[in-house]
Parts: sequence; C-alpha cells; structure tokens
Amino acid sequence: MQVRTILIGLLMAGSLWGCGYNDLQGLDEDTKAAWSEVVNQYQRRADLIPNLVETVKGYASHEKETLEGVVQARAQATGIQVTPEMLKDPAAFEQFQKAQAGLTSALGRLIAIAENYPNLKADQNFRDLQSQLEGTENRITVARKRYIDRVAEYNKMVRFFPTNLTAKLILHLEEKPNFTVADEKAVAKPPEVKFN
Amino acid sequence: MSRVWLAPTRLFVFLALCCQPVLASALDVPPLTGRIVDLARVLPAHDTDQLTAQLKAHEDKTGNQVAVLIIPSLEGESVEEYSHRVATTWKLGQKGTDNGVLLLIALKERKLRIEVGYGLEGTLTDLRSAHIIRDEMVPQFRNGDIPAGVRAGTQAILNTIEGTYQAKESPFDRIGSGQGTSAFQYVVIGIFVGFLAGLVLSQGLRRARALLGSVLTFMVAQLASLPLGLMAAGFTALLLWMVLGANHGRRRGTGLDDWTWYSSRGGGWGGGSFDSGGFSGGGGDFGGGGASGDW
Repeated sequence: MQVRTILIGLLMAGSLWGCGYNDLQGLDEDTKAAWSEVVNQYQRRADLIPNLVETVKGYASHEKETLEGVVQARAQATGIQVTPEMLKDPAAFEQFQKAQAGLTSALGRLIAIAENYPNLKADQNFRDLQSQLEGTENRITVARKRYIDRVAEYNKMVRFFPTNLTAKLILHLEEKPNFTVADEKAVAKPPEVKFN
Repeated sequence: MSRVWLAPTRLFVFLALCCQPVLASALDVPPLTGRIVDLARVLPAHDTDQLTAQLKAHEDKTGNQVAVLIIPSLEGESVEEYSHRVATTWKLGQKGTDNGVLLLIALKERKLRIEVGYGLEGTLTDLRSAHIIRDEMVPQFRNGDIPAGVRAGTQAILNTIEGTYQAKESPFDRIGSGQGTSAFQYVVIGIFVGFLAGLVLSQGLRRARALLGSVLTFMVAQLASLPLGLMAAGFTALLLWMVLGANHGRRRGTGLDDWTWYSSRGGGWGGGSFDSGGFSGGGGDFGGGGASGDW
C-alpha cells in the first residue's frame, strides 16, 4: 500500500512538471526581474544627465538646441510611470521604448558636439561623465539582451502546447512585449549628426 | 528545364537560402586555460608566470577571480560584446558574489576593456576602470610596451578590489559554486532517492534478497549524486536503509569500512580539484559594468 501511495504522489508531481506550471511561474518572475534591471539601468542613465548637461554648458552654452533637446528627452523618459503592469500593456511598453530611444539619440547629439570643443573634450569632468555614460549604455544593452532572451523563452512556453493551456486557463498569463530590432538599432548605434 | 518548373524551383532555392543558418561571424570564446590567456603571444613567459601567481594569491585571499585575455584581433566584433561574452562564458568570480574581472586586450584594433562582475561594480566602478585604462595602461601601450601595460593594469585592478570580499574557506561552497545545484541539494536528493529505492526493494524482495537490495540502493544513490561524486550521499542513504530496514536482513560488516573511506574522500576531491587542477570560473555573472578604451 505504501508503495502505491508513493507512486501516486510521484505521478502527481510529475504531471505538474509536465504542464509547466512551475516553469511558467518561474519564467514569469524571471522576466519581471529582467525588466526591473532594464528600468534600473535606464534610470541610472537619467541620473547622470543633469551633471553632463551642466558640464557641457560650461564650454558650449550657445548649443542651446542640443542641450534643451537632451533635457526635454530626459523629462519625457523619466515622466513615464514604470510599473510591472507595463509588461501586460504593449502600448505603454512601446511608449517607454520610444521615450528612451529619443533620449539615446539626444544624448548622442550632445556627445557629438563635444568634438567641436577641444577644451570640453579635454575636461576631466566631462571625460569622467562620458566614461560613466558609456558604461551605463553598455549595461542597458546587456540588460535589454537578457530581457529579450527571458521573454522569448517565456513567450514560447505561453504559446506551445500543452503549456499554453496552463498559461491561459490556470495562470491567465499573456505573452509579454519584447524590444524590437528597430529600437535595438537605435540604442546600439550612435545617431547621425546633421550640420545645418 | 521547362518553364512550369522554373518558378517553384526559384522559390525552393530562395527558401533554402533563407533557411540556411546565418554564417557565424562571431569570434569564438577561447578555452579558459589559465588566468592569463595570451593568444597573441606578447607576454614573456616570466611575466605570465608572475601575473598568474599574483592573481592566484589574490583569489586565495579574497575569492575575486581576475583573468587576462589578449587576442590578436576582434574580427569585427565590438569589444564590449565580445568581452561580455567571454566573461559570462568563463563565469569568472564566485557564484552569488559575482566577483570576477576580465581584462581584454585586442591588439589589431588597439582596443582594451575591463569587464567587471556585478559584485565588484561598487568598488571597481566604470569610472575607476576608465581611469585605470586611461592612466595606467594606455600610456604604456602607446609606448609599445604591452607587457608593462598589462602588469600595471592588473596591479591597479587588484589594488582597487582588494578587501571587497574575503575568500570562503569551506570547500563545500567551492564545490557548489561551479554547479547549478548546490552540494547540499545533491546530498538531499541522494538520500531521498536511495531511501525510496530501498523502501521499494525491501517491500518487493524481502528477507533473503535484502543484501542485493542494499547494493542496489547504494548504486541508485550513487547515480543520483554522480555529478559531484558525492559518495557520502550514497553512504548515508545506505545507512538509513540499514537502520530502517534492518529487520529484513543481516548487516554487512565488512563493507562498511570501504564506504567510510569513500565518504571521507568525497569531501577531499572537491576542495582539492579547484586549487591543484587548472583554473576554472566559479559561476560569477556580469552585467556589462566596466570601461573600454583604445590606444
């Protein structure tokens, strides 16, 4: 009798594994954690900007347009309330994406004008801020890549049979939005600078 | 070929081309042959030996794993991407503390990068890394003295991260750190499986065949704990089974000594393999911290 009880117990545990209940829950958590890391790194970048803008102003105060562009883009990016619910709302996710991509290109323009100001380029403070900004951009890239991988894995489980039944009927999990190649490019490549 | 077939054939060729895996242009991650992996062969032997000893002493003291990789060329890949790939493949640093650092130098592109593990980002910041590159390494590299730059850079990195962590003494932590599952979990699984098998066997085989049962239990437990070679798990499982199922058969008096010997050795292997056998990553992770530079 004892043996039978144990076997039934094992079977029940096995059937739970089979339907991916635990895996789905785990992946759901993983994607949220990966998302937090992305947001965290974007925030870190936003925190660096006021100092950077001040430093550039000291040497190139008449580059008003570029400077204001950065300040505006930053305000737009940080103005978005980031919540875990954002992952259930592709539109909000898209908006967050766009705002961050806008800030990326505004920052690119700001760094590019430094080329025209040798004194600014040589400024210790500016160089330090630039290293920190580079470091943060790299972290953003890594965090995004991890999020992309996690979500791909998660979405697969949500769509594949039979785990999709568990996801839809028991856990009510939906596919999560992912970063698109278009904004991946926007982040990875420095924007072009136009001289008018 | 008749016209009718042309379109489908074209389509097939097109599809076949589409389905080809994209040719992997990415540079391979070299095997982790030591703390200094000098694929460009620019470091003299005594420098390599000295740096290796220095890095090993540092790891023994702090647990921080620092490795140097010098490659002839990045072959088109960005230094950040490649360095992150190498660092995460090598898994430098201990699992949990993520205290690894990779110093990567690409000669042809004249680029270098310090890749910092999560756990050291607080001390070896992006800024500090940038300063090490800018002030300690690049001047030497510009003089054409790569070995001097590597020595200075390594020294500066070690000085910076000194004191962030203390090395863990327990060999058990070391064993667990390299694997996804900890040693403790394997022991538990080993005991559980062994016990279960013992129970089933004792029910089914009864009395006279209990001896066979004990041997099988031992083997099952061995398989369960194989990844670590933790003979201790099997031994414990067997002991458990003997205590609980003692009324089914005789004890094996002579065999016990062998198992005691195994179990005591099990602990010794894990601790020794890390130090004596080559160098391997402890399971650390990297989040893109650090700095890049060129000369």
